[in-house]
Amino acid sequence: MPFAGKKLYDALVVGGGIAGIESALNLANNDLNVLLVEKDLTLGGKMIMLSKVFPTLDCSACITTPKISEAARHPNITILTNTQIQHIDKQDKNYFKARIKEKARYVDISNCTGCQLCEEACPVVVPDQYQYNMVGRKAAYIPFSIASPRVASIDIDNCTLCGACEKVCPTGCIDFTQQDKEYDIIAKSVIMATGFNLFDPLKVPRFSYGKAKNVITALQMERLLAPTRPFNHVLRPGDGKMPCNIAYVLCTGSRDLSVGNPICSQICCMYSIKQAQLLMGALPMADVTLYYINIRSFGKGFEEFYEQAKGMGVNFVKGKVGKITEIENGDLLLRYEDINQGKVFEKKHDLVVLSVGVLANDEPQKLIQGWKKDEYSFAFQKDLFYTPSLSSIEGVFLAGTTSGPMDIPDSILSAGSAAMEAIRYVKQTSVDF
Amino acid sequence: MKQRIGVYICHCGGNISDYVDVEMVREAVAHEKGVAIAKTTVFACADSNQKEMVQDIKDNQLDAVVVASCSPKLHEVTFRAVVERAGLNKYNYVHANIREQVSWPHSDNKAGATQKAIQIVRAAIAKVRLSEAIEPLEVDTTQAVLVIGAGIAGMKAAIALSKMGVKVYLVEREHFIGGRIAQWDVLCLTNETGKELVSRLYNEIVSNKNITLYTGAQLIECKGSMGNFAVKLKLNPRYVKDICNDRASLRKAIDVCPVEVPDEFNFGITKRKAIYHNFPGEYPQAAVIDMNSCTRCGLCAKVCDKIDLDMKVEDLELNVGSILVATGFDPYTPAEGEFGYKVIDNVVTLSQFKRLLAFSEPGKLQWKGKPVKNIAYIYCVGSRQVEGENKYCSRYCCTATINTALKANEKFPELNHFHFTRGIRTYGKQEQLYHNASKSGHVFLQSYEDDPSRVERKGDKTIVRINDILTNRKELEVEADLVVLVIGMVPRSNNSVADILKLPRGRDSFFNEIHMKLRPVETVIDGITIAGTCQGPKNVVESINSALSAAIKSYSFVGKDKLMVEPVVAEVDPNLCKWCDKCTRACPFDAIFKNEQGVAHVNDTVCKGCGMCLPVCPTNAIQLKTFTDNEIESMIDVLANEL
Amino acid sequence: MNVTKNARILVFSTVKISDPAIDMAGLLKLHYSPKVYTISVPCSSAVKPRWILRALAKGFDGVFIAADGTDCPYGESCTEKTGEIVKKTHQLMKESNIDPVRLKMAAICSVCSESFIKHINSFNDTLLKLKTTE
Repeated sequence: MPFAGKKLYDALVVGGGIAGIESALNLANNDLNVLLVEKDLTLGGKMIMLSKVFPTLDCSACITTPKISEAARHPNITILTNTQIQHIDKQDKNYFKARIKEKARYVDISNCTGCQLCEEACPVVVPDQYQYNMVGRKAAYIPFSIASPRVASIDIDNCTLCGACEKVCPTGCIDFTQQDKEYDIIAKSVIMATGFNLFDPLKVPRFSYGKAKNVITALQMERLLAPTRPFNHVLRPGDGKMPCNIAYVLCTGSRDLSVGNPICSQICCMYSIKQAQLLMGALPMADVTLYYINIRSFGKGFEEFYEQAKGMGVNFVKGKVGKITEIENGDLLLRYEDINQGKVFEKKHDLVVLSVGVLANDEPQKLIQGWKKDEYSFAFQKDLFYTPSLSSIEGVFLAGTTSGPMDIPDSILSAGSAAMEAIRYVKQTSVDF
Repeated sequence: MKQRIGVYICHCGGNISDYVDVEMVREAVAHEKGVAIAKTTVFACADSNQKEMVQDIKDNQLDAVVVASCSPKLHEVTFRAVVERAGLNKYNYVHANIREQVSWPHSDNKAGATQKAIQIVRAAIAKVRLSEAIEPLEVDTTQAVLVIGAGIAGMKAAIALSKMGVKVYLVEREHFIGGRIAQWDVLCLTNETGKELVSRLYNEIVSNKNITLYTGAQLIECKGSMGNFAVKLKLNPRYVKDICNDRASLRKAIDVCPVEVPDEFNFGITKRKAIYHNFPGEYPQAAVIDMNSCTRCGLCAKVCDKIDLDMKVEDLELNVGSILVATGFDPYTPAEGEFGYKVIDNVVTLSQFKRLLAFSEPGKLQWKGKPVKNIAYIYCVGSRQVEGENKYCSRYCCTATINTALKANEKFPELNHFHFTRGIRTYGKQEQLYHNASKSGHVFLQSYEDDPSRVERKGDKTIVRINDILTNRKELEVEADLVVLVIGMVPRSNNSVADILKLPRGRDSFFNEIHMKLRPVETVIDGITIAGTCQGPKNVVESINSALSAAIKSYSFVGKDKLMVEPVVAEVDPNLCKWCDKCTRACPFDAIFKNEQGVAHVNDTVCKGCGMCLPVCPTNAIQLKTFTDNEIESMIDVLANEL
Repeated sequence: MNVTKNARILVFSTVKISDPAIDMAGLLKLHYSPKVYTISVPCSSAVKPRWILRALAKGFDGVFIAADGTDCPYGESCTEKTGEIVKKTHQLMKESNIDPVRLKMAAICSVCSESFIKHINSFNDTLLKLKTTE
């Protein structure tokens, strides 16, 4: 018996972002038995970190958290967070073997109530990656208030093993003896929903990211605008001043051969316009300027949303930003070419937001043999117009941004599409274990 | 009467609490009759709060719950499920909308918004106090799906559903399948042509016993509801029997036909006979007679015995559990004179241009007998209109145009391309095409939003002018041998399906989903899903993804032989009913009948809960569940009586 | 803006058609008087005259039926039936010496947000005028 002692699933969903969750729900609602694996401490991926979403301005949490909640209590879905898949091997025509590594959390999550007493007691402060390092967090911590599961975890790399958390924990769920657990599972199909990476603006030194404190990425701005935000206000990270003249630099790391990414990231125009609208609300006195090459508001309701932003007074400048220099008081000087006027100008801003692009996540390639990439390192789509979700490997389907940049509605539809194909595949190739 | 009510007031992460003083609302309602606990919460819908609610219900023996948050269209389902998990009946839950109907529209008036929120929550409490536990009704479902439209979206959805073991009726209004894709040549980012794609799909459909394809078929009636729709189709005959294998005699029949009309398949740039097929090998591989132009001269019937001019229109009735609508789009038709359309004879639409490229022999491209060298493309015709109804971007056209222009060069290497754009939107990987075009010498110009490009006739020349952004407002002009209007997508002009199914439309007049992210392929009509471009502009891949998402949703309505439906039905009090027949006449669904006691009785599984019978009853004997007099009037009393 | 200046209006809206329009008015931040309250019903042909009369008797200045019109998912007869309800209620109002202008109906389609605002604003004005002349 090749499967003896191993857990068996109809589908393994890799990635617990919106595409993975949506795929898992679609599969589970059609009676497939799903294992959803997320490497992070919480489900929700990039989407749960967002403030509001275009073009409806629904809060992002209002879309993600109910779906997460539904997945979390679904009888057909098993969720593993803080879990790394080591490798996936296609065993024969009809099933995959995956090596699962559940990393130690040093907290027994079945007993943790999320009371946060350990967090209070912990003396160690390190930068909080969930707030894009704008504030600190403890070594014993819950990622953020709407994390799922909302339980503590010990960041063992930074922990001093002082034992303060153990002492205050009311349920005694902290356990420093926990070990990583490794085992194999068997799945009939795989859905890759590993998402995307953000472009790292350190690769464009002329934008001074990392040097000038008041140059931030759009994801950092998302956190400043989010309801679970670090400062409860939109403030410059440099000095805590309320910004009043904010610039957005679009296509940072997109449509730019010099950084090796010739393609358009598809979402940056719209998220920048959305943030601009939210900023107009949060800081009524502030000026917001978007420096763009082309505004690409192509989706349902997007063009209207763009027009709405113009109507609200957001300033759109067709121009390429050449250089950003920090000047006195932490303000920034933008040198840009105004294409409408055909001239180079310099303008002062007190906060600059880099609208960073979408890059392929190379995770799947490391996981499975036979994985093919396209020329931009996104997943190769074997039969683009017939079965867009089909990868180079039979039985492995693509959901969300694994196959290229896309916005949330498109990710959700692509997840539905991948789930449909996976169900069909499992039904057709069904083998008895 | 509920006596232990839990009330939750959501901040919606600032969406509500920025304008409504939620704490004040909580205080104001905490002492309402029957309220056991009242809380505020940052995100009511978050998993942590859902768990807390379940715990609260159990710990405090709550018997009913109100959540005041966003519109019930978003999360009423979510919270009904929460109370159910805690052991309550889901109808002992009432949702109060204090976002879409309070904090957002009254963001200009915080005091007014807070006051209104208080009233709305009080009314919801009044209603839930009187709420009764009711059980969902179980109905038998017909395990079949009607897919309307055999374009790429409809065909993909039909195939996917059939693979799940569901019976599929695929209905196409035209006599040929393939929709718009069949009219397209090489698709972007691959070397596959529209025709090839259509033939792959067709072969899969005809070899699949679960799919029945009807061409020339129109939906004319739809009755019933989710799980059990009864639809009627009108089947228009082809007037050509079976599949005609005798190609030679069919060819002769076409040749002898004396009637010539513009060929819509080629968007009117060529002519066809009254008996025709769109292109050799089109599916189904049979000709059709267009009776609107046929003179019934009978010449064709003399040379081909498969022709039967006496074939009749037939009706067909089908029963299905769900309907998937994939009726596609129309290319925008420019107004006469819009960029010279129909006034200047070398102005064509992108659709016409694509057909021209497809049937022209390689080598030298000609239009109306003249050689074509310089082509000017005018973008955003019918999209992003500054004046006019179509405010939206049609999404596919920038990429489609550049792809068409690049492919044109492979067949006609001497062409020069001038793109008069409003900012190129080749999003995602499609950017590569833009890059390739720029590299291979295509000229891209961009007009100002308030200053569009102009097409003019000067002597025998056609000139396109622009004040170009990219060269600093320089006025540039190009003498064009052919002007191609890059037309956007508009909703189907002749869409009787929408009227029959009562599908709601969005601001852009395309069909509207319930919510772009939460329920992207469902409509407010339960059991009816939408896919592809009937919902808004999409490219091929996006259409397929939406089609498969719609298919999986439709499957969820018909996959099991029973379906739970809302028990919101009318109920007659037999003691009050004096049988006057008014309710049976008011009911659009024949759900009310006279029973053995001689009074009106409602058939639960037929009643759709519209309530049309309520106001016509002279003795007020009819109540609609969850909308009873007691419930509505208690809400009225609360709302009228401000604190 | 002075809150007390607005008329108190009860709107009977419909779950599938006019509710979405009123919700969208909020989404688009189209402002209207916060003295406008809605009660949702499945269909505008389900509104009982007694509910309307009760609302007017209990203190509402006006009742507005945001009707499904021809978009009604339950059938063609909706427009006519809602019209009948209004006619019948107007009759009852006259009998009780209530000015019939205090009941108004208009078809509000699922995206008719702007038209909803227009109707509600003009109804508000009408009711305020009525109040000052009374």
